[in-house]
Amino acid sequence: MTVAVNVRGAVKSYGTNRVLDEVDFTAQAGQVTAIIGPSGSGKSTLLRAINHLEPLDSGYVTVRGELIGVRLHKGRLRELSERAILRQRSRIGFVFQSLNLFPHLSVVENVIEAPVVTQRVPKQQAIARAKDLLTKVGLADKIDAYPRQLSGGQQQRVAIARALALEPELILFDEPTSALDPELVGEVLTVIRDLAAAGTTMIVVTHEIGFAREVADHVVFIDAGRVVEQGPPDQVLVAPRHDRTREFLGKLV
Amino acid sequence: MPSSRRSVRLSLTAAASVVALAALSACGSSAAPPAAAVDASGNTVVTVAANTDFTTPVQLTVPRVEAIRAKLPKAVLDRGTLVIGVGGLPNSTPPLDLIGSDQKTLTGNEPDLGRLVAAVLGLTPDVQNASWQNLFVRLKSGQFDAGFSNITVTEERKVQGLDFATYRKDNLGFEVNKNTTWNFDGNYQSLAGKTVAVNTGTNQEKILIEWRNKLQAEGKTLEIRNFADTNSTYLALSSGRIDAYFYPNPTVAYHVAKTASTPNPTRSAGSYSGAGATLQGLIAATTKKDSGLVEPLAEAINYLIENGQYAKLLAAYGLDDEAIPKAEVNPPGLPINNS
Amino acid sequence: MTSSSPPKPSQETELPQPVKESAETAETTDDLVDKLESRRVVPLRHPWRWVASAVVLVLLAQAAHALTTNDAFQWDAFGYWFTRPVVVEGLLLTLQLTGLSAVFGLLGGIVLALMRLSRNPVLQSVAWAYIWLFRSIPLIVLLLFLANITALYATLSLGVPFGPSFVEFSANDLLSFYMVAVLGLSLNEAAYAAEIVRSGIISVDQSQLEAASALGLPKGRQYRRIILPQATRAIIPAYANQLIGLLKGTSVVYITSLLELFGVVQSQASINSGQIIPLLMVGTIWYIVLTSLLSIVQYYLERYFSRGALRTVPPTPFQRLRSRLRTTGVAR
Repeated sequence: MTVAVNVRGAVKSYGTNRVLDEVDFTAQAGQVTAIIGPSGSGKSTLLRAINHLEPLDSGYVTVRGELIGVRLHKGRLRELSERAILRQRSRIGFVFQSLNLFPHLSVVENVIEAPVVTQRVPKQQAIARAKDLLTKVGLADKIDAYPRQLSGGQQQRVAIARALALEPELILFDEPTSALDPELVGEVLTVIRDLAAAGTTMIVVTHEIGFAREVADHVVFIDAGRVVEQGPPDQVLVAPRHDRTREFLGKLV
Repeated sequence: MPSSRRSVRLSLTAAASVVALAALSACGSSAAPPAAAVDASGNTVVTVAANTDFTTPVQLTVPRVEAIRAKLPKAVLDRGTLVIGVGGLPNSTPPLDLIGSDQKTLTGNEPDLGRLVAAVLGLTPDVQNASWQNLFVRLKSGQFDAGFSNITVTEERKVQGLDFATYRKDNLGFEVNKNTTWNFDGNYQSLAGKTVAVNTGTNQEKILIEWRNKLQAEGKTLEIRNFADTNSTYLALSSGRIDAYFYPNPTVAYHVAKTASTPNPTRSAGSYSGAGATLQGLIAATTKKDSGLVEPLAEAINYLIENGQYAKLLAAYGLDDEAIPKAEVNPPGLPINNS
Repeated sequence: MTSSSPPKPSQETELPQPVKESAETAETTDDLVDKLESRRVVPLRHPWRWVASAVVLVLLAQAAHALTTNDAFQWDAFGYWFTRPVVVEGLLLTLQLTGLSAVFGLLGGIVLALMRLSRNPVLQSVAWAYIWLFRSIPLIVLLLFLANITALYATLSLGVPFGPSFVEFSANDLLSFYMVAVLGLSLNEAAYAAEIVRSGIISVDQSQLEAASALGLPKGRQYRRIILPQATRAIIPAYANQLIGLLKGTSVVYITSLLELFGVVQSQASINSGQIIPLLMVGTIWYIVLTSLLSIVQYYLERYFSRGALRTVPPTPFQRLRSRLRTTGVAR
């Protein structure tokens, strides 16, 4: 198995609040890694640190062996230029919790924007590929719609197509269903499930324990900025070893 | 060019933006001088009182007087022009200064006098119309050589760094609606209980404030109103919001004539000296202190007075009553504390 | 308010029953559908709307009558002055000054707004200080100062800052009064535009930048393609206000010896003092015309930039009028 993401000694503080406290964590290529944990445990911060949306105070992240957001220079980690960071990000898809498609661009424009600009894909080719992706997420008929004309679930599916358009090595999902009405959650999870079946490397921060159990290959439980427990879903979610995990799961049921 | 001027370097970007502005179409507005020709004997023929609907053009011949010209500062001689400033924007003060019948060119008694003076000095007149505020900034900074703009000699202006060569009496007048009976009898007490408008920043205003203070001491009132411009003052007068408008007498006469056939005719209700009760107010060509121009200006005006062109010019505009016998340099003006 | 009778399989046709019911009505409401000639509901009539409309129209007619018949307005003089060359020249100057300083002001405003929003503390404070200063200085003072800057600095030179210069200009040649007016108005306008643009930018949700940045879009592209188009929607109404203010505000350029529309009107009124009111009306009507044109442009710009912000784009006034006429049966 290849390591897709490697996080080592990640520390991040907001003032005196240590959000990430020496986090070590690994995600394998071709697998789905679920990060679970209570609100404020640092799981979103960890996910955002992986594509350097949240720069770390210390520690580092590699994706497929390449340092993200920093470089090694004379034994120290130095932050990369904004340009270089943006280039790295175009290899990593990110789907946000909030619905943040670009509202003034149509669905297809949302999807082709990044490949056309950052990867210089010819427009026609990008559009053709966007149509494929939108078909894949079940929105072939919404190509020319504007985001506000779509339901929350449809918007989130477009967001996934937008992330996929860059043909990323890795997709990060930050609670992709928590802003949705309950009846819309299913359609988004179905898309993620299909991606998992196709062997896409994904890290998903989620509250959907049932979904994690079904889809994830690996589950990481975080509390108070530390990794409390990790392992296969049947172990972490069904027979947790730590009291804290058990307590958290107990509250959800 | 005065040595006190400094030069400034702008950084490339700032200058580039200025250049970008410069590339755009520019159209300044400067008043073109009227027909002036130099005849065979070196005399300049200046047409005055032209381009209006209330005067008849008069041609005046003015010789170049070398004796006076010799006294001009070298910088002015080298330049060959006399930059004459008039504060007629946006409101004219007819018949002293106004935009002519072509609705474009600056004309009037004062620009005409400036042209005559320039002819005596052998200089090309460059008459520039400006706002009243800008007129004074430019006079004090030497950008205008001489102001011919109904500027009254005041002690305060002397302190502010200006020299004066007088050329006309400063008579002020009261304009009232024709259907009223009040008249100014020369005594401030006849203003008790009245509401009078006056232009801000003028000697008229100083005089009026003095009168108001005296009346207040006697337990009487005088309401003073300042309007943004002459137009709003005229409107206030015709609508009866003010009893009278106190401003230069030549303009009172002009406006009375202009309104005679309109629905709201006015009349003159008496005049007063622009320098207070004990002093004849005087209007003067104004120049930056110690610019070396005030003596040649005064001598040129005196030349015009002695040789008759001056009287003809005033007559052409119906301003005979305002004539002075002799131009003076820095005579006593409206005192700083007029009491 | 369901009836006391046993529930029926379908509730759709059930109607609330009146409180007082006779045997007959109780019976008819149940199978009302059969007795209706048409199921269409007749909308409520609004007689008072007609009355209010009539009153307002009468008042308008009176006002129009008062305007047209009062001698003070001297409509013949108005007609003479309205298209005089001197007035038209003033009008063109107003348009030029407004247009140029609107463009330069907006460009400067965008730069200043981005500086204020940048993370560089020097840029931030410089932009803040600029806005503070130029919003504080009265425009008339700024123009008077610029018009006389030639007295302070006789030459302007183009070159290395504090170093040698390549080209020198006489300040008087470079800064014609026209240039001074455009420069002064633009400097002043930029300070106000900066705040309008900034308010537009901060009205765009922060998550938009984050999303663009997560997609790896270059910084410039993030602003040009994602933030500014959305900000524009909030900027247009505020900037249109600013422009209309500018249109009339250009009249202060008289201080630099330029006469635009209002300056010409004032100047001519001071000579033709019997015609002050018609001349002021000439200025007013031209301003109304210009403001109307601006408002139309504003409307269509707003409509264009509301793409995606509304589920459906509102109809244009013409489309609305047509549909109104169609529903009242005047046109088909």
